[in-house]
Amino acid sequence: MTFQALYTLTDLRVILRETAPQHDLDEKQRAQVQRLLENLERQIGSLKQEMLK
Amino acid sequence: MRCANGIEARQVDELAINIDPIQVGGRLTGDAMKAVIAYGDGYSVCDNCRKPNRLDYISKPPIAEFHKDVAAWLNMDAVRTVPGARRGFQAVAHTYVQKGDPVLLTSLSHYTEFLAVEGSGGIGCEIPANDQHMITPDATATKIEEVRKQYGRVPVLAFIDHVDYQFGNMHDVQAIAKVCHQYDIPVLYNGAYTVGILPVNGKDLGVDFVVGSGHKSMAAPAPSGILATTAERASEVFRTTAIIGDVTQRKFGIKEPEMMGCTLMGVTLIGMIASFPHVKERVKHFDRELENNRIVVDGLLAVEGTKILSEMPRKHTLTRADTIGSFDKVAGSHKKRGFYFSSALEEKGVTGVIPGATKVWKFNTYSMTRKQAEYLAETFGDIARENGLAVSG
Repeated sequence: MTFQALYTLTDLRVILRETAPQHDLDEKQRAQVQRLLENLERQIGSLKQEMLK
Repeated sequence: MRCANGIEARQVDELAINIDPIQVGGRLTGDAMKAVIAYGDGYSVCDNCRKPNRLDYISKPPIAEFHKDVAAWLNMDAVRTVPGARRGFQAVAHTYVQKGDPVLLTSLSHYTEFLAVEGSGGIGCEIPANDQHMITPDATATKIEEVRKQYGRVPVLAFIDHVDYQFGNMHDVQAIAKVCHQYDIPVLYNGAYTVGILPVNGKDLGVDFVVGSGHKSMAAPAPSGILATTAERASEVFRTTAIIGDVTQRKFGIKEPEMMGCTLMGVTLIGMIASFPHVKERVKHFDRELENNRIVVDGLLAVEGTKILSEMPRKHTLTRADTIGSFDKVAGSHKKRGFYFSSALEEKGVTGVIPGATKVWKFNTYSMTRKQAEYLAETFGDIARENGLAVSG
């Protein structure tokens, strides 16, 4: 799960690079970021459960 | 933010459009970033190294397959990974150049090619570029004859850059290689700015060696690169060790002296492998890169007094600009002197121009999006207008 969360953050990093310097996201990019952030929240939730049980 | 003691987290490319001439083709793909996270430990690719214990035989991760794929992609017969293009130059020079041997370079050759020749005791003989900063087959033939007259023999090796680092000009390697081969001179194709950027076909070019840079043009961490050869040359450059320890009688299997055994044993190689599918794909779309470059060049040329010193129309995204007649005029009276230009670019989210440079400077538009290219073109115009320079259009 650690890697999955890191990889989700990496996907977000790639979007930051593609949209620099203004980071004006188009509709497709916004949807992608939304999905990635939701995944990240889920992945962090799983990490909490696994590591703090 | 710091990633470790004294090390700032680097977020240059997340915050700005980077036009650094040497950095843009080496920026990692998302997949390479992910692979790097998992394979950062030293000998990380060696978990499954089995006999005959050589890097290019490892099948998990798929290193052996990668070597075969790169050879096929470049239409060459054998490939090794090397710690940077320079180590490819060095391996070839060390194989063919003896002390006092003349070696063909060009007046636009990268310094590491000179050092590779020097390291083997060779003498650098430069083919001069013409007024348009191009290396021609005719100039090559003339230089070979001059060398023959001066040294009593022809050069033992030729280093030819397909795209040179000074102007980003594309030279006719195919025709130059043909001339060299008429004199039986093996040709090393320096693809530091082409392998991983645009399609390269070694056999079509008629060269003996293809050298590429992972960190310059294959979206890989530094230092990384590839050395590809024809089958004929592979047995020479990639010859295996024959040394035997006189006390222990040890032998060293199929290790290759020019490679110093295994080459890229961790994060560099895994980054190159992870990016490779994307690199193979992106070279097919170099026309888009040239279109983005055209947008930026047009934006620059709209600033009155600006010249492009590279060949036009552009055949590569690495470009040399002369702004003595435009942005440099402002430097004399600006409170920041010549630093105003890079400073203004930074403020607008553009990085990669040498601070203080306003006369002659280079930029590279490779791998930016069209939107970024348009923004960059507008930015040059905006900075010009803000400083009282005329902008057409």
